[in-house]
Amino acid sequence: MSIEILTLLFFGSLLFFLILGLPLAFVLGGVSVVFLYFTWGFDSFYMVSSQIWGTMGSFTLVAIPLFVFMAMILERTGVANDLYRMMYLWWGGVRGGLAIGTLFICAIFAAMCGISGAAVVAMGTIALPSMLERGYDKNMALGCINTGGGWGILIPPSILMILYALITGVSVGKMFAAGVLPGILLMVLTIGYIVIRCYFQPHLAPALPPEERASWPEKFRALRSVILPILIVVMVLGSIIGGITTPTEAAAVGVLGALISALVYRKFTWGLIQEASIRTFKLTGMIMWILFAAHAFSAAYQSMGAQELIEGFVQMIPGGPWGIILSMMLITFLLAMVLDPVGIMLITLPVFMPIVESLGFDPIWFGILFVINMEIGYMTPPFGFNLFYLKGVVPPSITMKDIYGSIIPFVLVEIVGLGLIMIFPSIATYLPNLFF
Amino acid sequence: QETFTWKVQSHWPGASSSYTDSLVRLKNVLEERTDGRLKLTLYESGALFKAQETFNAVSRGILEMGTISPAYAQDKMTLAGIASGLPFAFRNVWEAAYFHQGLGFEQMLRDEAAQYGVYWATDKVYPTEMVVKNPIKTWDDFTRLKIRSSGALQKFLTEAGAAASYIPGGELYSALDSGVVDGAHWGAAQGAYSMGLYEVAKYHVQPGLNIAGTDAIIVSQKALDKLPEDMQLIVKQALAEQFWVRTNEYLFKERVTLAKAIKEMGVEVNTLPDDVQNRLVKTAQSMWDEEGKRSDKAQEALDMLKAYLTELGYL
Amino acid sequence: MRALTAFMNGVTRLNDFIGRWVAWLVAAMFVLLLLEVGFRYLLNAPTVWTNELTQMLFGVYAILSGGYIMAHRGHVNVDLLYSHFGRRTRAGLDIFTSIVFFIFTLALLYFGADMAQESIRNLETTYSAWNPPIWPIKAAIPLGAGLLVLQGVVKLLQDIAIAFNLSYYTPEPEEEAGEHV
Ligand code: NA
Ligand code: NA
Repeated sequence: MSIEILTLLFFGSLLFFLILGLPLAFVLGGVSVVFLYFTWGFDSFYMVSSQIWGTMGSFTLVAIPLFVFMAMILERTGVANDLYRMMYLWWGGVRGGLAIGTLFICAIFAAMCGISGAAVVAMGTIALPSMLERGYDKNMALGCINTGGGWGILIPPSILMILYALITGVSVGKMFAAGVLPGILLMVLTIGYIVIRCYFQPHLAPALPPEERASWPEKFRALRSVILPILIVVMVLGSIIGGITTPTEAAAVGVLGALISALVYRKFTWGLIQEASIRTFKLTGMIMWILFAAHAFSAAYQSMGAQELIEGFVQMIPGGPWGIILSMMLITFLLAMVLDPVGIMLITLPVFMPIVESLGFDPIWFGILFVINMEIGYMTPPFGFNLFYLKGVVPPSITMKDIYGSIIPFVLVEIVGLGLIMIFPSIATYLPNLFF
Repeated sequence: QETFTWKVQSHWPGASSSYTDSLVRLKNVLEERTDGRLKLTLYESGALFKAQETFNAVSRGILEMGTISPAYAQDKMTLAGIASGLPFAFRNVWEAAYFHQGLGFEQMLRDEAAQYGVYWATDKVYPTEMVVKNPIKTWDDFTRLKIRSSGALQKFLTEAGAAASYIPGGELYSALDSGVVDGAHWGAAQGAYSMGLYEVAKYHVQPGLNIAGTDAIIVSQKALDKLPEDMQLIVKQALAEQFWVRTNEYLFKERVTLAKAIKEMGVEVNTLPDDVQNRLVKTAQSMWDEEGKRSDKAQEALDMLKAYLTELGYL
Repeated sequence: MRALTAFMNGVTRLNDFIGRWVAWLVAAMFVLLLLEVGFRYLLNAPTVWTNELTQMLFGVYAILSGGYIMAHRGHVNVDLLYSHFGRRTRAGLDIFTSIVFFIFTLALLYFGADMAQESIRNLETTYSAWNPPIWPIKAAIPLGAGLLVLQGVVKLLQDIAIAFNLSYYTPEPEEEAGEHV
């Protein structure tokens, strides 16, 4: 059977079982096993257990339970709620103020954490209830967490960028530096979108009515609530930048900060810790089983000859250098809708990079476009991992349909950002050229 | 005529020079010499199996061929410890090459791997060298180091008095940059260059921590037996030739890469002072005997190695 | 029929019990990572064992979560079409799609057991500088897969009971999946 037909069948059956309501992890895992059986035989199932073994041994993933644990503690102790109360008091008069604040926190989170799953789950836990409570439209709240949660792979440190550097041979430091301005650009664009949208549709993110707005003394008193979150950020970022910890170990420092906060708030009890640990277990396990299956799925797809398929596609592309770049973006985006990022990199980069370089494009610039594309892929249906992670933390009243529906404008904003970086490459290349 | 397609899983990422120089080379040689009857489909590190699982996959015949570091087969191969290099044993690459091919260590490896249905062929022998952020001028400089290491060398560096810790490859650059560690080894010059380590650590330490057959090509015996006899011979001859071609070429590229790093990135070679070297050699030698205890064959290999080093005048 | 009910409750309770204990491993991972930072940064004496032990605990933590999460309906799905159907239709669909679930989990159980058995036979160690035994961690794969399969069987029995109005299982009042402890 040709790889084209296999691909259609492979992804078709994924969609089929997903629509029927089988959890993503089992759809990915089960479909891989069936296809491996027909293309490679019974023994190839060994690959599935071997991929899972490999995922269990991936040290950088240890950051997931720790960051989630941190968020759970912060949520239960009331630190998160006080933080949002403070933002509401200060920015209550601004339509969409909380959403904008959430995006800031997302960007800071992204600077503390190199993977995206943890950020989405953590921000979903901390930010979503606060926004919904204050009358924010659920699409607005979901969309902004979904977008902001994905920045972890663009704003350094980033495990994906390191992988990109490893596969393509570009400098990690340059990649990290290159991610900063595009990260800020995306944040500014998203904030701009929220401001404009809320200006015309105030009900989406209501401002605090003037009579309820706080007095200045009250506002300043509320500022106390940022001390602990800032302490945590300083501890985590400080220990990464100061050479005290690796990014993964820094997650443990974040937990330490959360525990200190619990003590300060006099909420530290075994009950609280136990509840936080159980919720962390459920969310981390949910993420991990999706990753287990996703890695098996990518491996199965690669063994079926995914790379040949991409090679074939690339050869058919018309339209000169920019046509090729755009098509590569499109391929990455489509693959990101269904595959895990590591798999996408292994399948596409060996085909793309020689072409990108022979056309004279800057591989650093291309890498940033690639990472943003992947980030968009994370948040687009049907398989965007962020969508599923978010579904894992939202209250029962929010369905997958709500989450799917919430992302459209935010994806468009990211695409605008992507377009700007394509047209003005220096947004990505300015800092690396300055520093290296 | 029947054609065969082998799935080959590498332990090198695609950007690694060895992926092209070793694996793509072998693929081309085999396809050419068999008139296209044997085709290799190459997969990058981790694409199908975790690198540590490749030996098992080849042993089970799920993969026809793979590349590994002997360390990944430690649980099966009692000779793997010696194959992946005793610290400070050889001083020149040719000595390690002669140990493998001239004295028969390669055959010992092949015999042991055969018990698991695997045909073993060392890809090349080469040194493992450190890069550090500050030059090592005294023994104290060395013991103050925090070094990213792994496996046997981590144990060795710890015994010798440095603070060696394991950091996964994905976090190595950041760790070295921010000073979580102030030294690391990732292959030698080419490895350090490909990982961008010279950007953040400017001193290349010589001599190497070890010189060994750190890359091996393994073939499923089952897959090999399925080939007609002439093709089996072609595969074995190509692998035998590969060792010499690659060992020599790798050395050449090491020097070229180091020269480039020196010229373009301001890297300096930090030759360890004699007293530091002597103390490291002493620690190393006291650790060698451990490897012999793994099996009779391992002891035999170790005795052979010691006799050889004595003959060379090093012991 | 009573035996069936007892089996279903027993499996769910087993997964619950294991889950509640394994969930504490996050605290262990936290302590270990912090210890390593302390040893390395404050004492300049990194250990060979903390990061590796953390890694091993993490693997166990992740793989053993499958059954517990299944028991609590925490594996996320797409409810786009699904939420429009009635309870019995959904149960019918779940019975159908459970084929895919069992193909995956049984393959994992079989090959995980195979991998673990080989590791136990050789008393495999990691051959790192610390060199601890690795077989208990590999053994966690078939264990985790087995717990998940068992919980899957429970879910299947529940769905059969719902779809065919059988008496051995009384479903709880309607509630949607989502994160609730
Ligand atoms: Na990040
Ligand atoms: Na997607």
